Amino acid sequence: MDQTHASSPLAGAVHDLATEVVLALRSGDHLATVCGAAGIDEENRTGIAAARVIGADLLLPSVLYGRHPHPGDVAVLDRAVREFPPKPDAPAATAWSHWHMISTLQRFAPPPQGATGPGTAVGTGTTVGTGTTVGTGTTGTYAEPDAAWLENAPWQSFTHQLSVLAPLAVPAAPSAVQRAAADRAVDLARGFVRAVRRRDWLQAAGAGRWLAAIGGEPATLGLERGLDFVELMGGHDPRVTLHVRAARLMAEARAR
Amino acid sequence: MYTTDTTATDIELDLDTALNPGEIDGVYRDSRECAYLALLAGGGALLLSPPTPRPKKG
Amino acid sequence: MTTTATQDPRGRPAPRGPASPGAALAVLPHVLRGALTWTDAHRAEFALPEDVLEPHTQVNATLKPLGELAQLCSTVRAATAPGTPEHEVAGDLVTYAWEQVSRGGLLLELLRAEPFAAYPYEIYAAFAGYGLRHEGFEALARPLTATRAWAHTEQHANRQLGLINSERRVGVVTHTDAGGVLSRTWLGGLSEPWTFEGPSGYALTHTVFHLTDWGRMPDRVPEKTDAYLRTWLPAWADGCLESGQWDLTGELLAVAASLPGPAPLELLDAVWPVLADVQHATGCVPETGVPVHEDAPDPYPFIDCYHSTLVTAFAAALSLRSLTDGSGPSRERHTP
Repeated sequence: MDQTHASSPLAGAVHDLATEVVLALRSGDHLATVCGAAGIDEENRTGIAAARVIGADLLLPSVLYGRHPHPGDVAVLDRAVREFPPKPDAPAATAWSHWHMISTLQRFAPPPQGATGPGTAVGTGTTVGTGTTVGTGTTGTYAEPDAAWLENAPWQSFTHQLSVLAPLAVPAAPSAVQRAAADRAVDLARGFVRAVRRRDWLQAAGAGRWLAAIGGEPATLGLERGLDFVELMGGHDPRVTLHVRAARLMAEARAR
Repeated sequence: MYTTDTTATDIELDLDTALNPGEIDGVYRDSRECAYLALLAGGGALLLSPPTPRPKKG
Repeated sequence: MTTTATQDPRGRPAPRGPASPGAALAVLPHVLRGALTWTDAHRAEFALPEDVLEPHTQVNATLKPLGELAQLCSTVRAATAPGTPEHEVAGDLVTYAWEQVSRGGLLLELLRAEPFAAYPYEIYAAFAGYGLRHEGFEALARPLTATRAWAHTEQHANRQLGLINSERRVGVVTHTDAGGVLSRTWLGGLSEPWTFEGPSGYALTHTVFHLTDWGRMPDRVPEKTDAYLRTWLPAWADGCLESGQWDLTGELLAVAASLPGPAPLELLDAVWPVLADVQHATGCVPETGVPVHEDAPDPYPFIDCYHSTLVTAFAAALSLRSLTDGSGPSRERHTP
């Protein structure tokens, strides 16, 4: 069950990109370009698709360290948003990751003249424009996708879906998904336990990242050691390491 | 680098899968007992204990 | 049989059927009746062989199944209403087991042969807890269980709780305090739930069985242990279902039904229908693996299904008691 095996060019590019995000998280070096280091530019369609998979986590080092992202990374993320919009029949998770990419771009976009700041726009959680200052510009509002299905999902599939949406587990990025996660912390903790028992390290890492972001897990979970374990067992997949490192940085920030 | 371009269709199919992955099959394996340094291998019946381990076929 | 999250074609997780309210109560009477019917029909296979006392005889294939028959059926009897067929069959089976040990005489012979073993005492306690006593056995056991050696028997903490429970049933002073022993168990230590697997799972279930005298005394479960179990049992049961560990699934259900306070409804409603599907038409339940659904008088060898079938009857009787006793808000989401 090797999730990191580069079974396709896309899987390989995702692996490379995730590796660079992990390196940037580790060093805290905001000047580095994640995409450049992974050999991805705006003209590389496989690379752009990989950026779509990594999603807003492309800018995660900047989000967690509170620094400005590299313009090249912003451009690639913007390109991924425009190149691979969700199809009308796309799964809800796909619509949500797309929404979150736009809202993250907006978060880093300078406020357009006469408008409120980007943080405010994201904070409302209902209307998010990508702004005209990002890349070539995708304008207009983009409402939050539906999240009602998350409220009634059994805890097993809830955790699986939340883990797919782990990039949304970042500080100061309210969304209906994040509210659903906060409402169901015990279910997420059960999902973490289930994922570890199944040796699904990627799902466990995503669930653990959510718990680190929202808090409220039962104390007996032992999340900190659990995340160490997941990283050591599943860290050959850089996406696992990415989520675990994000979780640790958020947990440290919460503890402060 | 893996980032050689392939056809758009391939990428979009791969992308759809990557964006909405199913769950992997669970892998279950229990710890085994190793009698190393054990003084007694099974000192008497374990009344009302778990089923007696037996070699399984298959 | 998997519990892997399912998705509809649009990728939204489809709600899983089993968690519908009342699902457990809908299957439990039939599951209990079936398991007891199978056990009754196979009582001869619990019979002790002529050479049961010989040193070469495997106790795990003879005395262990019989002791389990006595123990689990006595709990079924206590948890069911007098006059019901289940109550009567369970009582018959305890009586049958008592006759197999010559109303305690054979256990005395066993104790004379192996005076420093704990298991004759534990088997005797299964009967004593039901009110079936043997004066000669207790006369010999009394000085033995008062020794320092008995109090310092080296064994796992969960099994030591079993000895304490046996002492309680026989009515002697316990050799140590249950609370201190509980804190040394995997469960009592509130272990990280993601370290759960088969061996720790069985240690956990037996800790609860001994602590609660096989489900009869739920109030002996400390509050923090209760909260811990209510929080994590769903995650553990899910893995047992996916990996086909039916025996351990049944034991976890028995634990769930042995908690103080309201029954953990969501868990029972989610898991019981799955175990009901695994149960064969003859009433037996396989210990592990892919269930047989074809018609057959004996789909599994006795040794591969007797334990899980007894456990299913035991867990079903406790679950029915738990679901039909009292009511009130579940503590399932209570977090420690």
